[in-house]
Amino acid sequence: MFRDFLLLAVQSITHRKLRSALSVVGVFIGIMAVVALLTFSLGVEKAINDQVSKVFGVDTFMLIHEDLMTSRNHSSDLKGFALDIEELRRVDGVKTVAAIRQRTGFLQGPPGESGQSQQGFLPVMGLTPEMSTEFKSFLGDIVIEEGGRGIEPGDTHTALLGKEIAERLKAKVGDQIIIAGDKSAEITVTVVGVLTEQKEEQGSGFGFSTGPSLDTVYVPYDSMDMLWPESNDVVFTLVRTEPERDVDEVADRVEAAMKARGSKVSAMTFTDISKTIGMVTAVISGLFAGIAGISLLVGGIGVMNTMFTSVLERTKEIGIMKAVGAKNRHVLAVFLIESGLMGLAGGIIGALAGIGLGAAATWIVRAMFDVSVPLVISPIVVAMTLLGAFALGVVAGWWPARRGARMPVVDALRYE
Amino acid sequence: MALLDLQGVTKDYPLGSTIVNALRGLNLSIEKGEIVAIMGPSGSGKSTLMHILGALDAPTDGEARLEGQDLRSLSENELVTLRGRKVGFVFQTFNLIQTLTAQQNVELPMTFLGARRSARAERARALLAKVGLAERVGHRPNELSGGERQRVAIARALANDPEILLADEPTGNLDSETGATILQLLKQLCEDEGKTMILITHDPDAAAIADRIVRLRDGRVVEEARHV
Repeated sequence: MFRDFLLLAVQSITHRKLRSALSVVGVFIGIMAVVALLTFSLGVEKAINDQVSKVFGVDTFMLIHEDLMTSRNHSSDLKGFALDIEELRRVDGVKTVAAIRQRTGFLQGPPGESGQSQQGFLPVMGLTPEMSTEFKSFLGDIVIEEGGRGIEPGDTHTALLGKEIAERLKAKVGDQIIIAGDKSAEITVTVVGVLTEQKEEQGSGFGFSTGPSLDTVYVPYDSMDMLWPESNDVVFTLVRTEPERDVDEVADRVEAAMKARGSKVSAMTFTDISKTIGMVTAVISGLFAGIAGISLLVGGIGVMNTMFTSVLERTKEIGIMKAVGAKNRHVLAVFLIESGLMGLAGGIIGALAGIGLGAAATWIVRAMFDVSVPLVISPIVVAMTLLGAFALGVVAGWWPARRGARMPVVDALRYE
Repeated sequence: MALLDLQGVTKDYPLGSTIVNALRGLNLSIEKGEIVAIMGPSGSGKSTLMHILGALDAPTDGEARLEGQDLRSLSENELVTLRGRKVGFVFQTFNLIQTLTAQQNVELPMTFLGARRSARAERARALLAKVGLAERVGHRPNELSGGERQRVAIARALANDPEILLADEPTGNLDSETGATILQLLKQLCEDEGKTMILITHDPDAAAIADRIVRLRDGRVVEEARHV
């Protein structure tokens, strides 16, 4: 019987081509907007994920202070934690470890012409050599002023100054500066380079405030040990696992081992980051889709209006159907199929147009910002959209259809 | 037992703020196989009577029985099923569904009773052939003449092989020649297939094919005449 009702509905829709088409347009625009936004945001999510996996590497995870993983702390400031780096290196499955320590130290620049030297309390960061050898892409492109160099493996009493620090201390490459740490520990280091501004579009440096900063003094990790023997100020650790090891599993083991030694750390793997990114883009695309949903609502009201007119126009037809044996539910079914089909038609055209619009958006983004966003067509999104469009039609048609179905047959037959 | 039996039937319906007493204690009995013409001036209650005889509506009071079954005791859905099986309607304005072909229109009553597709199609074509429209099965109503439309409507009325044919001014929208042909067709069908027909009409020529003429006035039967 469904096939017969389908036929009745299709014939009624095609009989009123223009009006049906106009009410389909409302649904079409809404669906197009929703699909385009979802397609584009899925593309953005994939682009970010690709970028993260490129910089971060899927075989790598990081250790951060456990508070950063909870909702209690949303500040982007890195919080120091205690870490026994040698113990970490010995955990099964760990191949390479790179860590960053951060403190505020008392710095004294080289004596100036008058013999006076500049001094002050300034941020000092200690980086293990692996940071620049194994995780180069993680730090982003470090731009060092001509004549200088970065910190290299084997360096001990060296420092790389952020440009602002160099200006404050009036220090240049080759100068010696003094850094004072805990309990009168003090070392003299040679400035080997000055860190300058990055070229603007080089946005690939990832990771909180650990990217090159112009008001920080960078020293080898070992130097930090000399200044502050107790390493409870590690802000960030990157761990690369041995090949073919399950990163999440190694991460769990590392986290447990470090926690057992009193480190307040949390391991964050690529999977965790992906999840977070997914959550953020889901919220954003949900917001956009909500806005697009308003146009869907308008589209639904359009279908409802058409169905009301259709029911009114076909009052006599309803009377005839009922006179020849149609029950209320038959009449209801015919009208609901009709409005559902209109929704579905809008959904199909809208989904196609939405994918096209999404493709256009990724193309425009590539052309304007030189950022490659892939076109992600999600079958789930398409299927849900079509289902939603059909449901929208049915819901919009419900009230008019019910009104039509409940009309007394005698009144309906008499209607002119 | 009479096929249709109305005893003391009244029907009131609201019209604006007043109540119209369309039928006021009407008695009428129709036997199986009879052709009965119901005549009367406008407002005499013809249409209301037709609605009750066709199980489209239940009386306000009194007894209306179709094959012994009291219409007032039936639910709306039961009324629908009853008229779908027992009554075939032929209207003055044909009342075909414009978006459907002649064959689809004839199939419609069978569809609602859940008949199989192939069986429906076969019966619809046979019925259209019987009313002389074998060549027109795929045409839509607006491609057919008035007489042809009424033939489609007659074929539709016969779709579920009902006991009763209820024709409401079937020739009202036709020229006299076509009207006469349609009346002959209806009479022929009733005689061939042993149908009972109730003909509601103003037209004395139409009433002439009936076995019996019932005249209404003010919601009551005022005269019953039997043709010889």
